[in-house]
Order: sequence, then C-alpha cells, then structure tokens
Amino acid sequence: MIPGRLHRAGTGLLALALLLAGCGGDGGKQPINLAGGVPVGAVLALTGNANVYGQDQKIGLELALKQRNGVGGINGRPLKLALEDSGSDEPGANAAFTLQINNGMLALIGPTLSQQAFSADPIAQRRGVPVVAPSNTATGIPEIGSFISRVSAQSSVIAPLAIEAALKLQPGLKRAAVFYAQDDAYSTAETTIFQQTLKGRGLDPVTVQRTQLNDQDFQNQISAALREQPDLIVLSLQAVDGGNLIRQLRELGYRGLIVAGNGMNTPNIYPICQKYCDGVLIGQAYSPELDTPANNAFLKAFRAAKGGATPPQLTAQAYTALQVVAEALVRLDKRLPLAGANLVEARKALMAEILSGSYATPLGEIRFTPEGEVIQSQFYVARVRMDPGGRSGRFALLK
Amino acid sequence: MDAGLLEQMLLGALLALSVYLPLRCGQLSLATPGFYAVGGYVAALLSTGVPAFAGTGATSPLPALLVEMVLAGALAGLIALAIGGPVLRLRGIYLAIATIALVEILRVINLNLPFTGGAMGIFGIPQPFAQPEGYVAFTLALLALACWLCQRLEALRLGRAMAAIRDDELAAACVGIDTPHTKLIAFVASALLAGVTGAVAAHFFNSWNARAGSFDASITTLAFVVFGGSRLWPGPVLGGLLLTALPELLRPVGDLRLILFGAVILLGPLFFPQGLVTAERLQRLQTLAALLPRRRGAPLAP
Repeated sequence: MIPGRLHRAGTGLLALALLLAGCGGDGGKQPINLAGGVPVGAVLALTGNANVYGQDQKIGLELALKQRNGVGGINGRPLKLALEDSGSDEPGANAAFTLQINNGMLALIGPTLSQQAFSADPIAQRRGVPVVAPSNTATGIPEIGSFISRVSAQSSVIAPLAIEAALKLQPGLKRAAVFYAQDDAYSTAETTIFQQTLKGRGLDPVTVQRTQLNDQDFQNQISAALREQPDLIVLSLQAVDGGNLIRQLRELGYRGLIVAGNGMNTPNIYPICQKYCDGVLIGQAYSPELDTPANNAFLKAFRAAKGGATPPQLTAQAYTALQVVAEALVRLDKRLPLAGANLVEARKALMAEILSGSYATPLGEIRFTPEGEVIQSQFYVARVRMDPGGRSGRFALLK
Repeated sequence: MDAGLLEQMLLGALLALSVYLPLRCGQLSLATPGFYAVGGYVAALLSTGVPAFAGTGATSPLPALLVEMVLAGALAGLIALAIGGPVLRLRGIYLAIATIALVEILRVINLNLPFTGGAMGIFGIPQPFAQPEGYVAFTLALLALACWLCQRLEALRLGRAMAAIRDDELAAACVGIDTPHTKLIAFVASALLAGVTGAVAAHFFNSWNARAGSFDASITTLAFVVFGGSRLWPGPVLGGLLLTALPELLRPVGDLRLILFGAVILLGPLFFPQGLVTAERLQRLQTLAALLPRRRGAPLAP
C-alpha cells in the first residue's frame, strides 16, 4: 500500500523537477535590456565572515555610481548597478554570478574573495561576461580566462613592502614568526610570499603557525610562537580572525612589531582588536594622500558620505572597478551604440575595451596587461594608529 | 527557474538521501559531507591530472565522468567499510560525534595532502556538459536511480531489516537480524552515494576544496532530513530540494533573506515535528488525487 503510494508521490516529485528544468536556459541572442539604465552587476560578500570587506566595497560602488551618473552616465543614459550578496562561500558566489548573468548584466564586479573567484569566474568566462575583480589578490586570478581582470594588485607585489618597512623601522630584527589560516586561499597564497620575502632578507621564520579561518581562540598557537621569542610577527589572516589574534597576541604579552597582510586592510578591524590594533604595519595599494584630481574627487565624495573619515583601500578599489567599467562602456557606446546591440557581442567588445584603456583613478593611473592583470605604479605601507579610546583609528602612511 | 540553482537543489536532494540511508537504520551519521568531499577530490584530481579524463581541457568526455563516479563511490565506500566496523559500535549522539570527528579528520587531511592543492583546492575542472541543463538532466537521472533504489529497499529483506533496527535494535537482533552487518551496509551505501554526488558536484562547481566537507555542511545536510522528514525517502528529497533553493528564492527580500531562511528552518520542525513528508500526509494526498479525476468525470473508472 504505502510503497505504491510512495512510488507515485516520488514520480510526481521528479516530474515537477523536470518541469522546472525545462524552464531553464537563456537565449544567447537577446538585445541589451536598457530599461532603467545600462545594466552592470556586482557580487559582494555582504554576509558571512567576509562581510567586513563587502561593506567597504559597497560604499565604493555606490560613490562611483553616483559620480558617473552625475556626469551624464553612459553618454546620457544612466548607469544601473545591480548588487547581489554572494555570502562568503563558493556556492553563494556561483549562484549570484549566474543570477546576474541571466539578468543580462553587461559586466560583473566581484566576487570579494579569491577563493570565490576561482569557483565563480569560470562561469562568467564560459558565458562570455567581463569580470573586473575589485579585491582578489591571490596569484592566478586573471589567468582563469580572457574575460577575467582585476584592479587589485596581487599580494606578491604588495606583501614584501610591509616587511621592508618593518626592517627599516627596526633594522636589527632577527626572529620572525609567521601565522596563516591553512584553510583559506588568500591566507595560504599570501603567506608563501611573506615567507619568501623573509627568507630573501635572511630572516628565516623561527616558527610557522597554522590557524583555521573560523577560529576564535589562538592561545595554543600564540603560546607556541612566543616560546620562540620572536621580534617580528607576520600575519596572513582575514579581518575577523586576524583581529582576534592580534588582540590575544598583545594580551599574552607580545610587544614587538606586527606585519599584517591585505586581509586586515580595512578599518573594520578597529572594533575587533581595538587599542591592540595600534602599530600594525600593512602594505597598501591605495593612498588617501595621493594628490590627483581623480583621488581628490573620490575623497570629497567619501567624506561627504561618511563624515570626514579616510577611505579604506577596499572602498577605493571598488570605486575604481566600477569607474573602469563605466569609462569602458562610454567608449564602447560611442563606437558601437549599446541600444539595439546584441548582448553577447556587446559583452565581448566591452572586455576588449576594458583591457585596452588607461584610467585616471583614485589608485593613480592604471592600465591592464593583455591577460587582465592590473598595472599600477605606486604602493605604500601604512601603520595603524588607534585613538586613545581604542574605538577608532586611522591608517597612517609611512614616509 | 535557473538551471544552475536546480542543479544545486538536485545535489542537495542526493546528499539528503545519503543522510537518510543510515537514519533509516536508526543511525545518526553526519559523515556525509566527508565522503562527498572525498568523491569530489577523486573527480577533480582525475580530470585535472590524468590526460585521458581531462579531454580537451575545457570539456571532458562523459564516459570519463562515469568512471570518476564509480571510482569516487568506490573510494568513499571503502573508507566507510574500513571505519564502519568500529564506529558503528557507537549509538545515538556518540555515533554523531564520531562521524563529526571523521568529517574533521578528512577535512584536515584534504587540506594538508601534497596533491590536493591546500586551501586553494583544485580549480579549472573540465566540464562534461557545456550548459547547466546537461548537469540537471544527468543529476536528475542519478537522483531518479537513487530514489528507485530507496523505493526498492522498502520491499527488500534488507530494507525491512533496517526498519526493524530503527524501531528496536534489540528486538531485531532477537529475531535473527544481523544488526552490525545491516548497519554497516547502510553506512557504506550512504558513503557511496555521497562520493558519487561529490564527483558530479566537483565538475559542476568548477573548483573543489576542503570546505566542501565542513562541519557546517554536516549540519545543513542533517537539516534537509529533519525538515523534509526522515521516515520515507520523499522526505529528504523534498527537504534537500527546498532548503537548497530557499536562500536563492528569498533574494528579492534583500538583507532579510537569511533571517527568513533561519525562521523557516526553525518553524519547520516546530509545526511539522515529523518533517514535511509523513505517511499520513502522503495518504491524504493520495486520496485527494484519487478524488480529483472522478469529480471531473474523467473516464478512468471501469
């Protein structure tokens, strides 16, 4: 009795799934839907453990959108930005990318994490949609395919600068300890570069401690590291775990220099490690002190929106990413009017346009290699300076 | 509906069936994501490292996928066979804890083996299907096969033995059922199904890393079964389909979507403690379905 019924129920269920499957598929030959503006999509980590980055990036995108639409959008037509949350994992990024592509976006900005990019970018590559990554720093991102580019300089360029700066501050450094999250793509990629740099300067790490991305308590690793009496600690960790580790490191009595990687390059670490953030050295791809018209316009917009604060690198890079896409769209529209153009061909032409241009951005003058890697001339090192209360602080550039 | 999401739903349903199989035998095993990860690694390593499996790089031949699935299922099954003996001596919550430990051990091994790509994992996995629709059709066939086998189980001696162990292990042993053997079969079948699912998922997701088999995934797959119902196989299938789709279907509500998703998971077991699918509800559905054609006067009656 029951089996027969079960059987029929199951068949019904599968038939339903089949029916839904039939609804899939996207027409490849559709025109661009310009109702409401020129569609560009963004996929950011607004939830999950990477949400601290996504929040910074969201502000940057919003400012760039406002700026672009304030100067006439894409040749008189407004730029329309659709923002989707990817969570902080790969399936989330895959789903958000697919959704944005199905919704007819001309280009995508995102995803936030390198780990997500390795999973989601191939989807965009297969479907021929330009991707401009605002914050992926791991090696090998533009190499995913011809439609993948980034405005975030990779860690192999920036990471060594912070070590150099530490050696300049304290030339006698001898005992370096390294921490990284062994289950995170960004951390493992960056720590390799940090460790190479250390070895290159004759500072063989006295200990390398592995943590997990979702760890809260680092007492074991810290005690093991402090037994080696390090005078320099190098961290490749994301904001939440890294902030907690710095706090515990200082509470357990470490007084020496700390160099942190790009994962902690956000003012959102202030509430996590509070007064203990003070003195941390971080390499920067963006300087608020850069005196160019592009950066001054960005600074003005940011200060108007956030009440006098200094923009973080992630915000500047996200702003840059949308600026690059918008300027490429403006040029493309003049050559090949978007109204009436075929979506597939417009995406392809847009990618070529993005890579061929040169852009005056808050990061300075940038260009791309034919693979889509960013070419940027200036990098900096900042030292975190916390206010006496430990509630807020700033990234002070080292001269 | 988007085919990519549908594919994720089908994969969720397969994983839910993998959790359901030991539960059908009264064993709460959370090891499914561990075997899922192992299966994915087998497919990822073969299709990126062995030229015969890699095809042209961008596309890989379908027979290669089938071989990968067999190998992935076999490896997951072998691991389950090897550890099943000692682990299945535990019961209830202790078994659950042991299987969580197993998932963690497999995860750390996968992170640290020299050839699994560390945290970055393996990416650029070639695609046997050009479009997600291909994956959907293939996975649907796989799910249909798994459902059919679960259905067959109801009529087989093995299936009845499993149900007997679930209801009362001592009584089952007293009537001559080889309980350790039956439990081991259920555990190995669960691992096998998870391994095969992992092989398909690795291709579909393009990249594979140790996060596929995390503690979070254990809880998610368990939620599929708790939400859908653990007594009959349509329960986990429905739970897997619904709970995978829900976060995506809720996208229009914006920032509230994960809160709503949490609320649904919370309210499901509160209002449907046996899960959505129970024998009584299926029966009622059946009566309703039987009534409908008669009312319309369809020429079904003899």
